Amino acid sequence: MVSEEPIEISDGRWRSVVEQLIVPIISVIIAVFISGLIIWAVGYDPVAAISALLKGAFGGGRQIGETLMRATPLMFTGLAVAYGFRAGLFNIGAEGQLFMGGLVAAWLGIALAGLPWIVNIPLILIGGAAAGAAWAFIPAVLKARVGAHEVITTMMFTYIARYFVSWIVTGPLKAEGQIPQTEALPPESILPRIHETFSFLTNSRLHWGFVIAVILAVGLWLLLKYTTLGYEARAVGFSPWASQTGGISVEATIVKSLCISGALAGLAGVVEVIAVHGRLFDQFSSGFGFTGIAVALLAKNNPLGVIAAAILFGALSAGSGTMQLEADVPAKLIFIIQALIIFFVAAEVFAKWIVRPFKKKAADNA
Amino acid sequence: MLNDIITPDLFASAIRMTTPIALAAIGGTICERSGVVNIALEGMMLFGAFMAVVGTTWFGGNPWMGVLVAVIAGGLLALIHAFASITLRSDQVVSGTAINILALGLTGFFMEIIFGRPGSTDAVARLQPVFDITGPTEGLLGTIWTWLDTVIFSYTPIVYMAIIIAIVAQWAMYHTRWGLRLRSLGEHPLAADTVGVNVARGRYSAVIMSGLLGGLAGANLTLEQVGTFTENMTNGRGFIALAANIFGRWTPAGSYLASLLFGFADALQVKMQLFRDVVAIPYQFFLMLPYVLTVVVLAGVVGRAVAPAAIGKPYNKE
Repeated sequence: MVSEEPIEISDGRWRSVVEQLIVPIISVIIAVFISGLIIWAVGYDPVAAISALLKGAFGGGRQIGETLMRATPLMFTGLAVAYGFRAGLFNIGAEGQLFMGGLVAAWLGIALAGLPWIVNIPLILIGGAAAGAAWAFIPAVLKARVGAHEVITTMMFTYIARYFVSWIVTGPLKAEGQIPQTEALPPESILPRIHETFSFLTNSRLHWGFVIAVILAVGLWLLLKYTTLGYEARAVGFSPWASQTGGISVEATIVKSLCISGALAGLAGVVEVIAVHGRLFDQFSSGFGFTGIAVALLAKNNPLGVIAAAILFGALSAGSGTMQLEADVPAKLIFIIQALIIFFVAAEVFAKWIVRPFKKKAADNA
Repeated sequence: MLNDIITPDLFASAIRMTTPIALAAIGGTICERSGVVNIALEGMMLFGAFMAVVGTTWFGGNPWMGVLVAVIAGGLLALIHAFASITLRSDQVVSGTAINILALGLTGFFMEIIFGRPGSTDAVARLQPVFDITGPTEGLLGTIWTWLDTVIFSYTPIVYMAIIIAIVAQWAMYHTRWGLRLRSLGEHPLAADTVGVNVARGRYSAVIMSGLLGGLAGANLTLEQVGTFTENMTNGRGFIALAANIFGRWTPAGSYLASLLFGFADALQVKMQLFRDVVAIPYQFFLMLPYVLTVVVLAGVVGRAVAPAAIGKPYNKE
C-alpha cells in the first residue's frame, strides 16, 4: 500500500533521516499555506487566524498540556493505522475499534468499582485493547480468507460500533437522568492527570495515557525492527507473494496485524473514557480514528514519527477553538489542512520538486 | 403487522433510497473499470449534496441549478483524484481518503461561512415528482392503480435518471468503442496503449465521470430526499456503493440491481422503526442493518467476483 523507505542506511545515516523528514515538513508547510489562502479568500485575516491557532496550541503550560492531551488518542490511532499499513492493510475503521475499546473500558471501569487502581487500570487497558482487536477480527478474517477489502468492511464495522455504543448509553449502561451517557467511573478506574504531579501544566487535562502512548510507540518501533512478528508483518506488506514463498503464512499475518492494529485503536478509546471524560457517551470521539490515518501517513508509518505527527494534529485540534474565538475562522478548517497534508505527503513529487534546487546546490558544493 | 410493513410505499421508498447508492456505484464501476480505485465517492457525494443546496440558494431557489452545481462540484473533486492518482501516481486509496476528509472539511467550513452556523443548512426548494396522474381509487382497480402509481409513477427526476443511466451505461460499456476502450484500460493498459488508446486521458475521463455521478447522487440526497444538508449526511453510502459495485460484478446494471438490495434494507429498517415497540428491538439495531448487510454481501461474493486486472496500479508509459 504505502511504500516506506528504509531508514537504516549505515552510510550517511543522519542525512537519510533528514531526507525522510523533508517531504512531511514541506507537505505541512504547503498545506498551511493553501489553508491561509482559503482563509484570505473568504475574507478573514490568515495571519491573525494562524497566530490565534498557535497561541491556542502552545501559548502556555495549560495550552501545551491540552495539545498533548489531544495528541494522545491520535498517537494510539496513528500507531494503529501505521501498523496496518506496514502489513499492507488499510485500517480505515480505527474509529470503530476505538468505540469498542471505549465501551469495554466504561463497562469494566464501572464493574470493577471498589478494587484498587493498580488492579483496575491494567485490566481496563487490556480489556479495551482486546475489544478493539476483537472488532478488527472479522474484517481481518474476511480479508485473509475471501479477500473482502478491509477498507469497506472496517468502515461498515465503524458504523455498527457507533450504533452499538449509542444503544449501550441509551439502554443497558445508561445513567439516571435525561442525558444518554454512562455513570461516572469510580476514582479507582480513572487514569490520573499529569498536572497533579507536575504543576507547570496548570490544570490541563493531560493524563498519564500520554506517557503510555509514547512508551508504546517506542515499543512498536523496536517490535517492527527486531522481532519475527514485526518482520513478518513488514514482509507481507512488502510482497505477500514472496512472503508466502518464503514460508510466512500470509493469512495468519493479515489476521494478526489487523488485530494488533485494532488493539491499538481500542486503547485510544480507553484513554478517552478513563482519563479525559471519565464516562462513556456516544460523541466521545471527535473522529480520532480518521485523523489517525493522517497521522500515520504524515509519519510515513514510522512509530517514532507518529509521536511527532500526533502532536502536530493535537496542536491543530487544540488551537482551532482559539482560532474560531479570536479570528472568527470556523474550526472545521483543520479538516481541510488535514486533507491537504495527506494529499501532499502522498504526492511527494511536490515536496521533492521544491527541494530540488537546494539538493542540486548541495551536490555541487560537495 | 406484515400488512402494515409490506405496502406500496415500502417499495417506493426502497427505490428512492437505492438511487444515491446506485448512482455512486455506477460511478465506481466506470472508474474502477478504467483501473482507478475510487474510495472518494463518499466525499464526492457529500460535497455534491452540500453544493446542491448552495447552488439552489445562489440561483434564486431553482433546484435544477442546484443539480448542475452539484454535478460540477463532484466532477471537480474527481479531477483532484484523477490528477493525484494518474498524473502524480499517488496511492489511489490514500488520495481517496484525502478527498473524503477534504469534503468533510469543505462542507463544514463553508456551511459556517455561508449559512452562519454548524450542523445543517437552510431548507431549499426540492425537485418535485415528475408525474401527477389521477387514476381510479375504488375497488380492485383502485388497489392496482395505487400500487402502480406509488411504485412506478411517484418519483422525482433523479430517481428516473439513475435507472436510465444504469441502462445506458450498461449498453455503452459492452456495445460501444468507448466501453471497449474503458474495459481495456483496466484489464491491460499496456495493450490499450499499444493499439493507440491514450491511457491517461481515458482514465481521467472515467474518474471525472464517477465524480459527476457522485455529485448527482448527493443532489438526490439533499434536493429530493431531505431538503437540507446536514453534516456528514452521506453516512457511509459511498462505501456501501463500492460494495454494490463489487456485488454487481463491475457492471452498471449489476451495480443498480445490487444497490436495490441496500435500498430495500434501508427502507425496511426505516419502516421497522415504526414497530420498534411491538418487536421490542432498539432502533439502533435497525440502523445497523444496511452496514451488516454490506459486510455479509462482501463476505459472500468477493471470492467469486473478479476485479479488473490492473485496478489500483498507476500506468507507467516508458
